[in-house]
Amino acid sequence: MSQQLPKILESIIQEIPNLIFKEQDRHRLRLELQKETLPALLELLKGRAGYLHLSAISCVDWPETDEFELVYHLWSYEIKTLISAHIHIPKKPGHYISVYDIYTPAAFFERDIHEMFGVYFEGAPDMEPFILTEWYGPPPMLKSFSSLDYVKDTFKWQEYSPDWLKDIEAKGGKVVE
Amino acid sequence: MTTNIQMKSETCRTPDKEERSLLRQVLDKIADHCRARSLFILHYCTGCGAIELPPTITSRFDAERLGIQPMVTPRQADILLITGYLSIKTLKRVILTYEQMASPKYVIGMGSCTINGGMYWQSYATVKRLLEYIPVDIYMAGCMPRPEAIQQGFLQLMDNIDKGHANTWKDYYHNYDEYLGNQQGLFGPDWHTPTDVIAEARHYQLFGEKTIGEHTALLAKFASEYVTKPIPKEIIA
Ligand code: SF4
Repeated sequence: MSQQLPKILESIIQEIPNLIFKEQDRHRLRLELQKETLPALLELLKGRAGYLHLSAISCVDWPETDEFELVYHLWSYEIKTLISAHIHIPKKPGHYISVYDIYTPAAFFERDIHEMFGVYFEGAPDMEPFILTEWYGPPPMLKSFSSLDYVKDTFKWQEYSPDWLKDIEAKGGKVVE
Repeated sequence: MTTNIQMKSETCRTPDKEERSLLRQVLDKIADHCRARSLFILHYCTGCGAIELPPTITSRFDAERLGIQPMVTPRQADILLITGYLSIKTLKRVILTYEQMASPKYVIGMGSCTINGGMYWQSYATVKRLLEYIPVDIYMAGCMPRPEAIQQGFLQLMDNIDKGHANTWKDYYHNYDEYLGNQQGLFGPDWHTPTDVIAEARHYQLFGEKTIGEHTALLAKFASEYVTKPIPKEIIA
């Protein structure tokens, strides 16, 4: 598999210890690595392989293992292969280092992840609320936050009993949630 | 009625209640009839619904045939069209806008999102029932209602105004305490707007038993002096 990889990527991958990589197709590469080595990987990719574009950072909440998974999506206009670098960080304390110094757009992604998941990025320029400026509840994208329960506690529902529904209910039917 | 208002009305002749109401009935009829044929919609869009408005307003369906036009400022607008889901943040702005509009004002809730949350019914960020926070005159069901349905709604609203049924704006003054309570439930107890709704209720003579209550009492605690302080006597005299 690795024969098809551009040489430069191959050498970078070999420099990073404990890295697992999976090629999904010629333009898509999935890398799983230790959280300590991620900044080094980003530096190498940016410096040597033209990975100038950090298109997103996404976060996944894994309640079973009590971990957050952070995925850094990177694109190089020279190599034309999309790299997603996956790391896992423990939920407590839920801290990680900011990659703002390598990729400036990371500031927005990290700020967003901070308010949606509560992950704190050390060294990020701004960790203030971004979109949820008027939200006082827990980070809403956590799996432990039940949107449904919140909605049921906070809002009332519109009464709705049209005739057709009454007919059905008279026969023992009902609306299923 | 407070002493403030009484002092104010002493400066001009106070009309007899009965006399005024008779005259008023006729005037209101004429005013309502004219008003129904010249309505301005505030140019403010939320949610997805805005997309059905360009065809409604422009040449294809041409709402101006009904005398309805978009208007850029809340002070000059008659209709507040809520064109879809409202996030809690947007609702704050909507309430601020609504309170700035001059009475009589009408609210149209467009789309199922304004009725009960629509397809965002289990979202933590969107408001479910618009009518808890501001009074709604007409709902247009649909996700999204087509321009035909919107025009139908406009016609219905015009008809209501013409017949003098579109009076929900008065409800906001009558039951201000309840509306404010619902708003506080979402925005926290320190929520207040720059508009002094209670004074307005007095001004329109719509001050009722439910205008003030436990929720409006919190205003005195949190709102700025501008809202809570009674108007100084020197200014009135
Ligand atoms: S009712 Fe439908 S079209 Fe309207 S705002 Fe809600 S989801 Fe969008």
